[in-house]
Amino acid sequence: MNPRPAPHLWIVAVVICLSPAACSDASRPTTPATTTLVVSQGGDPGALNPAVTTSGNTHPVTDQMFNGLVGLDEQLNPIPELAERWEIEDNGATYRFHLRRDVRWHDGETFTSADVKFTFEEALLKYHSRTRAALEGLLTRIDTPDPHTAVMHLARPYGPLLQRLDVVEASIIPKHQYAGHDLLSGEPTRRPIGTGPFRFVGYTPGDRLVLERNPDYFRQGLPGVDRLVFRILPNPVTAVAALENGEVDYIGSVPGPDVARLRASPAIAVVPSTGGSGGSVCQDVLIPNVTRPPFNNLHVRRAFAHALDRRFIVERVYFNQGQPATGPISHLLAWAYTPEVRQYPHDVRNADRLLDAGGFRRNANGERFGVTFTHASNHHRLGQVLREQLKAVGIRLDLEVLDFNAQVEKVFVKKSFDLGLASFCNGADPEIGVRRVYVSSNIGPFPFSNGAGYRNPRIDALFDEAASVVDRADRREHYLAIQRLLAEEVPYFWLIDSEGLRAHRRAFTGFRLWTGAFAETVRLAAPTGE
Amino acid sequence: MTADATMMRWVLGRLLVAMPVVLGVTTLTFALIHLAPGDPIYLLAGDGGSPAYYEDMRAKYGLDRPLLEQFLRYIRAVAMGDLGYSFMFQSPVLRLLLDHAAASLLLGFAALALGSTIGFGAAVLCVITQSRVLDAVLRGSATLAYAAPVFWTGQIFILIAAVKLGWLPVGGISTARETLDGADWLLDVARHLVLPAMTLALPLAAVIARVSRASLIEGMGEAYVLATYARGLSRLRVIGRHVIPNALVPVTALIGQHAADIVAGAALTEALFGWPGVGYLVLHASLHRDYPLVTGAFILISTSVVLFNALSDAAIAWLDPRIRLQ
Repeated sequence: MNPRPAPHLWIVAVVICLSPAACSDASRPTTPATTTLVVSQGGDPGALNPAVTTSGNTHPVTDQMFNGLVGLDEQLNPIPELAERWEIEDNGATYRFHLRRDVRWHDGETFTSADVKFTFEEALLKYHSRTRAALEGLLTRIDTPDPHTAVMHLARPYGPLLQRLDVVEASIIPKHQYAGHDLLSGEPTRRPIGTGPFRFVGYTPGDRLVLERNPDYFRQGLPGVDRLVFRILPNPVTAVAALENGEVDYIGSVPGPDVARLRASPAIAVVPSTGGSGGSVCQDVLIPNVTRPPFNNLHVRRAFAHALDRRFIVERVYFNQGQPATGPISHLLAWAYTPEVRQYPHDVRNADRLLDAGGFRRNANGERFGVTFTHASNHHRLGQVLREQLKAVGIRLDLEVLDFNAQVEKVFVKKSFDLGLASFCNGADPEIGVRRVYVSSNIGPFPFSNGAGYRNPRIDALFDEAASVVDRADRREHYLAIQRLLAEEVPYFWLIDSEGLRAHRRAFTGFRLWTGAFAETVRLAAPTGE
Repeated sequence: MTADATMMRWVLGRLLVAMPVVLGVTTLTFALIHLAPGDPIYLLAGDGGSPAYYEDMRAKYGLDRPLLEQFLRYIRAVAMGDLGYSFMFQSPVLRLLLDHAAASLLLGFAALALGSTIGFGAAVLCVITQSRVLDAVLRGSATLAYAAPVFWTGQIFILIAAVKLGWLPVGGISTARETLDGADWLLDVARHLVLPAMTLALPLAAVIARVSRASLIEGMGEAYVLATYARGLSRLRVIGRHVIPNALVPVTALIGQHAADIVAGAALTEALFGWPGVGYLVLHASLHRDYPLVTGAFILISTSVVLFNALSDAAIAWLDPRIRLQ
């Protein structure tokens, strides 16, 4: 017997490969005949039916393959998409949509009003969590007088319907594909057929998802690239490195510490974004449990708000990816927003005074009381900063770090917490994403609801009134009243109006970052000598 | 008793031991993942729904049943060879695992081979040269390499070899920009393999280097080694023919132990490099509370641990005729 290390072929391959000659050009994009846009995706989308989920891993992919009845412009106003025009009747209780006649599904079938009726009745109203929560019982009937007209009848006038009909909130799926299949797990969820700018080619879980240009897309000349590949890179650090290396062309979020480095790279553009498939116009908000001490005390809540140095938090924790929040509606939802509400500037002395008034005096150690901050591990930095800021006013913050899923359950479902944190997205309208956080009908054991447990009949009534009018100026008045009242009562601590950064290689241009369908208009940039 | 019969008895014995191990792991995994806080419905279905909605969804996935009933149903299905259906992917767990196992095996074996070669090679070099400096360097770097966490070394590799020098790709198993086949594809996969394999191999090489070094030095002092010198064999021959073969026994046991990890996949390394293996799958599945996928993955992992332990026992018996399979 003469044992010796066996020669392993792959080592040879590695050695060959380490020689720069063999590897010099492959990582640099050459100019292939087909244009491929490679997008970094943080996790697996799983099943690919956009009408039954709001998952942030599913929609970035499916929103490129499907359409909504309406699209959204940069100011989040509705614009024609599958519906070329519409009429609002009965003060906003009836919406009549006239559909485009030139739309075909990726399998060649014609898109009709039957698909719209099927999508709402069988998918959105049953399985799409946000759409069901808002429209169940409100959207009472959909009539299809002819293949190109769909009429929605509502139980009462409802202003913000159109904002709920884009590809993120209400992707339209094909009736002929899904009829007879399970909407959550049936075959069409694995081989999706849409009407959108890209059509499905293949999906290798954990690795990539490949789409190609839909040559029959109803918007002439779009999309601008031939292939769209989602590369699954769970680690954000790797995604940034892959962007720098030219392996991917677009990343949907930029980790704070990498912002400066990416900005310095001439090949990369770093762009602010307010929206997209993960939700638009978001705010990071601290959630106090107002159903029990100490946060059931208004003095404590106001003192707590004064103890927070939001500017410092925005700079050091969020790396300026947003602005300090001034109230329950983000300033990015400009038509509904007002800063003219009670403000809580960073003011330790005032906080001390309010806490004394609330009956929470300092003990011998200078401490008044302790609360536990339940949060996900990616917010550990925020936890540490909050602990320091609160220490100054005599509040001890204990940190409880859990994984995302466990933290959501503890705060929203079990409700065994003092202080939690969530990113609440306002959406294209306060009715979509603001209402759910404050109305008492939305207190319940389910995620991203009114987690604080705040009840105020006046607030409930104001939200109902705001939704029932169609005229925006009129609705704005209601939302101003809501903001003024909520700022007095501080049922939540609004930290930051998020303005997340995204980054793409300058070889491509035309990203529509405010909508789910961000890739529709992307094209190769004119050569600049890169 | 014939050699074949001994072999047969040994294999049967191993199988008998394997069953309770796998069943135990299954039960424990099932209990832990179900008792852990968190609910798969939220990530599956999305946010902002009504209570009735979440109830409906739970019923749809059978999550509203008592835990014991869910467990018994699961065990019955597994006994029939059905590992269930992944919540996340809406496809059979077994198929998902097998699809990802190939990538894990490739990465695992590459790392194992690289780690063993570097580790054992370095130790042999030290013993042959008898250089104090080299020995100190080996011991020092082994300690460092073993102590450094893979997500740190991996990031350093990415920054240097990929971002700064541009020699190698950062992530994935093959390029996403184009579809390659044949030799181009193989070369592309090999290039994507280098950094994750190096990352995984480094701590392994460190352990192997230290164990081999000790084992080789011990061998050098044995009486039979002195006797071979006395018979006039050259130093290289003595080391090559007598010391190394004996030193391989503990090293093989060590490699066998680590080989079991490779199907489990190095979850952190796979996630860092976007390597589509079982490790990444398990990580993703547990973050999403994809119960069937997590439990199925642990059945696969525990089975392969048993398998690799048996293989390494067999390899040791083959290397050292004094050790017999029992």
